[in-house]
Amino acid sequence: MDNFFLLMEGFATAMQPIYLLFALGGVLVGTAVGVLPGIGPAMTVALLMPITYSLEPTAAIIVFAGIYYGGMYGGSTTSILLNTPGESSSIVTALEGNKMAKAGRGAAALATAAVGSFVAGTIATVLLSFVAPYVAAFAVQIGPVEYVALMVVAFLTVGALLGSSVLRGLASLGLGLFIALVGFDALTAQQRYTFGSPFLADGIDVVLVAVALFAVGEALYVASRLRHGPIKIIPVTGGWTSWLRKEDLRRSWKPWLRGTLIGFPVGTIPAGGADVATFLSYASERKLAKGEHKQQFGKGAIEGVAGPEAANNAAAAGVLVPLLTLGIPTTATAAMMLVAFQRYQIPVGPQLFESNSTLVWALIASLYVGNLMLLVLNLPLVGIWVKILQIPRPYLYAGILVFAVLGAFSVNFTPIDVIILLIVGILGFFMRRYGYPIAPMVVGLILGPIFESQLRRSLAISQGDPVALVQSPVAATIYVVLVVIFALSLLLKRRQRQFEAMVAANGDAADVVRGTAAVPGADAAVVTPADPHNREDTDR
Amino acid sequence: MSTSVQNTGSGTAAPGKPVGELVFALIIVSIGVLGFVAGAGIQTPPSASDIGPRAFPFAVSALLLVVGAGLVFQVLRGHRGAADEGEDVDLDAKTDWLTVGKLAGFVLLHAFLIVPLGWPLAAALLFFGAAWSLGARPWWRNLITAVVLALVLQFVFAGLLGVSLPPGFLERFGVFGG
Repeated sequence: MDNFFLLMEGFATAMQPIYLLFALGGVLVGTAVGVLPGIGPAMTVALLMPITYSLEPTAAIIVFAGIYYGGMYGGSTTSILLNTPGESSSIVTALEGNKMAKAGRGAAALATAAVGSFVAGTIATVLLSFVAPYVAAFAVQIGPVEYVALMVVAFLTVGALLGSSVLRGLASLGLGLFIALVGFDALTAQQRYTFGSPFLADGIDVVLVAVALFAVGEALYVASRLRHGPIKIIPVTGGWTSWLRKEDLRRSWKPWLRGTLIGFPVGTIPAGGADVATFLSYASERKLAKGEHKQQFGKGAIEGVAGPEAANNAAAAGVLVPLLTLGIPTTATAAMMLVAFQRYQIPVGPQLFESNSTLVWALIASLYVGNLMLLVLNLPLVGIWVKILQIPRPYLYAGILVFAVLGAFSVNFTPIDVIILLIVGILGFFMRRYGYPIAPMVVGLILGPIFESQLRRSLAISQGDPVALVQSPVAATIYVVLVVIFALSLLLKRRQRQFEAMVAANGDAADVVRGTAAVPGADAAVVTPADPHNREDTDR
Repeated sequence: MSTSVQNTGSGTAAPGKPVGELVFALIIVSIGVLGFVAGAGIQTPPSASDIGPRAFPFAVSALLLVVGAGLVFQVLRGHRGAADEGEDVDLDAKTDWLTVGKLAGFVLLHAFLIVPLGWPLAAALLFFGAAWSLGARPWWRNLITAVVLALVLQFVFAGLLGVSLPPGFLERFGVFGG
């Protein structure tokens, strides 16, 4: 019952007018930036880091909570309304949502995504409030040896699962660990890989590398293969009454709940993040659908939007469990949240719930508040989001670059950092080009130093005997669980790929799934001429 | 993140010969080698506990070396990486190296101009140059957008949020901070 009172105290903090204002600002900015194509939630958090530099910790954390959930919402709007194939993490929503929008049901798709995200976000946040304290209570008892085991799990799953190629993921992880080594060794104060340069002696700032990889790398990469021609946005038609009809609601509520139940647990374990959760939800909805509803899959079935969107948001809340209680990020976005905490010298990990309980409960309470705000704001503001989607691409990517250099410069106020930003950005460009995932590098960069110090601490205790690392029963259990999770996740990943190949082969969904926009104009051809509202909005 | 299917055709892999990809994998190998060479120079104080400051760098270098070698082998055998996807990315377009070069050039220029010109001017120039490189026309609209954006950012971040960006010629106007 203690936790309940703590949560209420958190609400008391989060409901103060000034913090409500910060939460509102966070969700608005988060959604607006999340809507922008090419900007995922991780880049959103990285780019907006400078905004919070001058805020006090509670306000900053509340802003980040808003940005975190807002970014997720924004992403689904993009994939439903923008008529180009997007990233694979949002591909499932694009699959059905895009088809629905083309059939003039865009409003219903947006509505079921928004309400589903709200339902899932709220249930998952409730689960988070009750599960996290117990995990934290367990976590304070574990020592460095168990910690090392947990981080090995995080490294391997993140490295091997975030991305399509295991070797490339591990290479990306290795690069992150390597960059993290540059600078003074925390335990012996020896310089490592500084090559005598005073600029490298302090190490390379995590924010700098993250902004470089996410923003500069992305801008350069998109510039190398910019999609030219008009921006195709599917217009949203119909008034408020047609947004979510009774029939839609009847078909949506079960997928929302199922999506939540799938998303939350998948989010809490390091199994590849929200990507796997949305896929699992989509596959199960497709399997459970009957009769004519089943026929609609691939052509705009509302269940195929409702379930995955709910799963996505539930997973986002689930990811916060290992992040807040163990200090272990399992996605790139969570890694960026961890950086935000580190900036404020808030020790994320087992002690967080004890040492900063006011702050962490205010954060959780503001997740509830932010979720509600998003539900109220998002649907009425859809006109604004559509405007944002129409930003000319040269201005969008030029603006991303300006924000990136702003963020880089404001880390230490030295132009050298802008040059380092450019160098790491070029690295990010080539990583994207050759199919190396970015997320493992960021996670390696952030967890590397913590991992090393825990490893050395464990070995100091055991006087250099590595067997001690697996002797503790808890650590041994973690390693066994690791093997199980790993095998299961690889299996899932393979099924996901087969499934995507199958959908791609199906033809009608191919343009969304596989970027088969090779045939220009193929997208526009899907429109039914019978409905005047369905015209592609190409005359801009 | 990319979950693409390797066997669905040429659209996924970077066009052209895998020379670049091979070079990138070799760079990973060489970072691993560098890690061992430079790592040997890390001083180990005699007071250090059983595992000193060298062990972890060596482990990371070994990881890079092994994984890099595996990647070189994979690329040589024809297994290519799947290029990243995105809403604004046309995977079938030819790589536009010129634009990439221009963008990188403007960022570099910006780094050298922040101190002499102040942040707002340097940022406006970066935006103007980047928008022009990416194909935005006419030039005067780019210029107006660049100047307005730079002034707004300077005002919000330096004036309101207290981030100390050097205001340059705007120094005499208090609202732009510094």
